[in-house]
Amino acid sequence: MVSVTIEEMPMDTRKKSDYQPSLPERYHLSDEDIYEAMKEIPGYLDITLGDFKELYQIACRCALQRIAKSVTAGDIMTRDVVTVKKETPLLDVAKLMADKGVAGVPVIEEDGMVVGIITERDFLVRMGALGTKSFMGVVENCLVGKGCVAAPIRAQKAADVMTSPAATVKAETISLDISNLFRERKINRVPVVDNKGRLIGIVSREDIVHSPLISKTF
Amino acid sequence: MLKEYFNKMKGTTKSPPAVSLAEIGWSWVGAFLGIAAVASLNYKILENSDLVLIIGSFGASAVLIYGAIKSPLAQPRNLLGGHIFSAVIGVACYQLLGSHMWLASSVAVATAIAIMHVTKTLHPPGGATALIAVIGSAKIHNLGYLYVLMPVGLGALIMLLVALLVNNIPQSRRYPEFWF
Repeated sequence: MVSVTIEEMPMDTRKKSDYQPSLPERYHLSDEDIYEAMKEIPGYLDITLGDFKELYQIACRCALQRIAKSVTAGDIMTRDVVTVKKETPLLDVAKLMADKGVAGVPVIEEDGMVVGIITERDFLVRMGALGTKSFMGVVENCLVGKGCVAAPIRAQKAADVMTSPAATVKAETISLDISNLFRERKINRVPVVDNKGRLIGIVSREDIVHSPLISKTF
Repeated sequence: MLKEYFNKMKGTTKSPPAVSLAEIGWSWVGAFLGIAAVASLNYKILENSDLVLIIGSFGASAVLIYGAIKSPLAQPRNLLGGHIFSAVIGVACYQLLGSHMWLASSVAVATAIAIMHVTKTLHPPGGATALIAVIGSAKIHNLGYLYVLMPVGLGALIMLLVALLVNNIPQSRRYPEFWF
């Protein structure tokens, strides 16, 4: 995030020209656009420019809500999920995550039931990450102390560090609810499970951003 | 608050664009034929009878059903429903409140608008149809509730028929947008 968005600025410091309209308003039509369109349609249209604009904005908001509701976890999830078992040694977990370039892996039982999830943060916390439990927290701890900060967890297994139970969603959970879950739980990915709790996929924040239904529409 | 109130009177938007020459031409043709149909029947055939087929509000209907054919107000449901409901209300008001003409007139028009809203048949000329039933000539008054069927119902039906025939001739026009 490079710049501070207008929404984060206190209301009273906003100049009128800085006003950032809500999404439907941002796609708004000018009176001239509507005037030109009306000229193209033969016949007298019994509606004012203002009424049309209002209709358009409300319709646009309805459309956005409908689209947000029509995209489900099943549409956008990654089906080929990197997973570990409870007894997987942490060294193997770390190696797997590094090899596959993933920042989180669900921990599953033999039958595919999701019992937890391990993310970079679970490692960082146990490596003495300070403050916001970020990688820079580990660096800070490293600079202060001595030796490998991962040493204390070298012998541990997946079950020892995983977050359990993990938040999960169903294939039919709508993307809007997943976005809210990410924000509320401060998480970046969520396993998708079937009715019996068995893993069928995973949705990350990236999957939501790249959701084809959303990017195609806008 | 007062400033806000007066600010509303400024308006917020500009008027819609003018229509094409073809649109003007077809509006003229439609209105000519529609009014000619009811007027000729009225003046050629019913001249010496007690019956009427043309009333002033048909001029207003012509504006909508030949000149603004996409308008919801100009659709068959509105044209027929608006005239017929308003006619009933107009006759009833004259017969019940006719001794106070000012009251009969105002109640007729106001109630006609309300009923047209309720029945989703808003058609501005309906207000005139209700008013004519009250203030109209002795000939109109003598019709009683026949006023609803003729001139109002039959006249509106004839004008609708002309609208269907004429408005669908040019490629750029179609009528109606919906029936009911």
